[in-house]
Amino acid sequence: MWFKRIFINLPPLGRSFIKLPVVSYLFKHKPILGKTLLLLVMLLVIMSGLTGLGCIRGLQPIGWSGGVVADGTLFVGSKEGRLVVVNIAAGSRQWSESLKMPQSGGFGCAPAYGSGCAAPAGVAIYGTPAVAGDLVYIGGYNGRIYAFNSSSLGIRWVYPRENYLKPIISGPMVMLDKVYFSTSDGKVYALDAVTGDEEWEFQAGDKVWSTPAGNGSTVYITSFDNKLYALDAESGRKEWEFKAQGALASTALVYGNTVYIGSMDRYLYAVDADDGSQKWKFMGESWFWATPVAYDNVIYAPCLDGKVYILDAKSGGEVADAIDLGSPVSSSPILVDDKVIIASQQGVVYALDTASNQINTLADIGKDIYGPLCASDGIVYIHTQDFTIHPVDADTGAKLATISLKSSE
Amino acid sequence: MINVLIVVTNYLFSSFGLAIIVLTIVIRGLMLKLTLKQLHATKAMQELQPKLTELQKKHGKDKQRMAQEQMRLYKETGISPAGCVLPMLVQMPIWIALYQSIMLALAVTPEGLLNLSQYLYSWPVVYSMLPLESQFLWLDLAVPDKTLILALLVGGTMWVQQKMVMPRTADPKQQAQSRMMLWLMPLMFGFFCLSFPSGLALYWAISNIISIGMQYFVTGWGGLVKPAAERRAIRDKKYRRRIAQVEEVSSVEADVGADIVVADSTQEEGLAHEKLGDERKDRGGGYPERLRAIRRQPRRSKGHRPKRR
Repeated sequence: MWFKRIFINLPPLGRSFIKLPVVSYLFKHKPILGKTLLLLVMLLVIMSGLTGLGCIRGLQPIGWSGGVVADGTLFVGSKEGRLVVVNIAAGSRQWSESLKMPQSGGFGCAPAYGSGCAAPAGVAIYGTPAVAGDLVYIGGYNGRIYAFNSSSLGIRWVYPRENYLKPIISGPMVMLDKVYFSTSDGKVYALDAVTGDEEWEFQAGDKVWSTPAGNGSTVYITSFDNKLYALDAESGRKEWEFKAQGALASTALVYGNTVYIGSMDRYLYAVDADDGSQKWKFMGESWFWATPVAYDNVIYAPCLDGKVYILDAKSGGEVADAIDLGSPVSSSPILVDDKVIIASQQGVVYALDTASNQINTLADIGKDIYGPLCASDGIVYIHTQDFTIHPVDADTGAKLATISLKSSE
Repeated sequence: MINVLIVVTNYLFSSFGLAIIVLTIVIRGLMLKLTLKQLHATKAMQELQPKLTELQKKHGKDKQRMAQEQMRLYKETGISPAGCVLPMLVQMPIWIALYQSIMLALAVTPEGLLNLSQYLYSWPVVYSMLPLESQFLWLDLAVPDKTLILALLVGGTMWVQQKMVMPRTADPKQQAQSRMMLWLMPLMFGFFCLSFPSGLALYWAISNIISIGMQYFVTGWGGLVKPAAERRAIRDKKYRRRIAQVEEVSSVEADVGADIVVADSTQEEGLAHEKLGDERKDRGGGYPERLRAIRRQPRRSKGHRPKRR
């Protein structure tokens, strides 16, 4: 019998499958149906194997939201697609309702995201929430931006109210009573921070993934069209633009009168904030993905080549030798007192002393870190890819009790 | 391979779609020898199928004897069953590499783009090209094709390819199995096309079209056209059915003629030529005159061309 031949050749797992009473019955009495079932199971195993091996890794948007601390409360976007509020002192957590996915596709495969078959746990959140007054703002990959009441987590407004924009990778930025954010179809929006009404929008030449950066009356936007745009914060009018050689995915850093942008052409650019002229550029060995940190006229720029470059803010020259961390750095570092806290993708957290430019290992979290770091009162909060916040003492490196962002725990 | 894909994109007007097509063709070309070996082995195995079925009928219960006889047959004919599988296994890693490269290069999500950075060489052209332009014809290669065109193309080409390699067998169980495979795989891949980025679907479609071309040059249209004997049998069956119909009509007309007096005798069949029906000569073939014309004109179709050797 044909099924016996299959039985002999199948590995033990397959044998157990065929031994199942239902399957066995099917094979004996409905051979065609049985074979179809077996083939489907095999295909499913292959597909999950491919996913597990990383063959189609990167199809699913997962998110890497950073956190923000305001009045002793940590706000962070979880990988379940919820805004989570953590009372740091009490250790209590509160979850917003899940962000909604657009109902544009079928098959349960979230085709609106251009993804594969396994639906994500929730709407991916990449941007760090922004807090202003009693509102907290967060954007989702579903193409909507939400304003929640920071204490009750009730939704104050959502934009757009009816439809969905293209996926939002950027975080919101609040300035001049407006919320600024961008979408992956290259649009930059300014909304009234209180009502959520649209004030203006600006169209860039390609995707915009970065969070807008502000400096008084100007908003700086980087785009995949290789350009840095300076927009008037009130009207959205373009003041100037600067063109790099590669796509710009990282958020700009505004320090003094200079805008620093990391590019996918392996350069870190310093651009004059007034007229958009290039001051200097520095070449790394891979993309500058994370936003650099500036302190005392020195730029600390982590790179995906696994190094941290220490550059003079004015000339772009290397102040000290680059520090090799041995793992790419995509998480934006943070300044705590006079130390720059940097986390590598592999999950090791370092403290770079700005006085001596010496680096020390602060803690080994052991989990993947992609999201930007945040800190408050000498504690660094690290959102790892396993739905957990790891608080680490920036001075001693002591690991404090972890905070799960899963609503079920 | 991913770096090659990006460089090829650079030289093909920054079109990632064209790069997928060209690289698929080039890789299939490089592996032509292995593919042909596999196709020839598969064809030889198909030709051996009747003998194997015969052996199974003969020694079906004695497995040991059956295996011995099979081995003897393989030795006599110089066919190795591994010849069908080995070249395919050798090619598998290359397919997976190409598949992975396309997926990585598409960098659908931020995680995908970040992941891509780990695979890049320090060639300036690679860095200046990223992220790749995902528009190609009507497609956004990073998202599924919503027009269904690509899903139908992938499903259709896969069906044709499966049909071409489908073994001919008299065993109804095997026939059912082949039929199931013939429909299941195209349907599944068509379904995948609705969920996966269209860049991947484009690769599947091109790969299928190339496979069809190669298969045609080795085995002809294969299962797409019916074998000559089967075609003859069907034609004969059709003739017999028509003859039966005509004879039935003739007998009815004859019965009617016996009872009814026809005023104008020329209306009767055959009398237009002023000849009686029983005086007509049979010119051979055993078919009535009006059916001979049909028989003399054999049906011409694309599937009728002689098989290439």
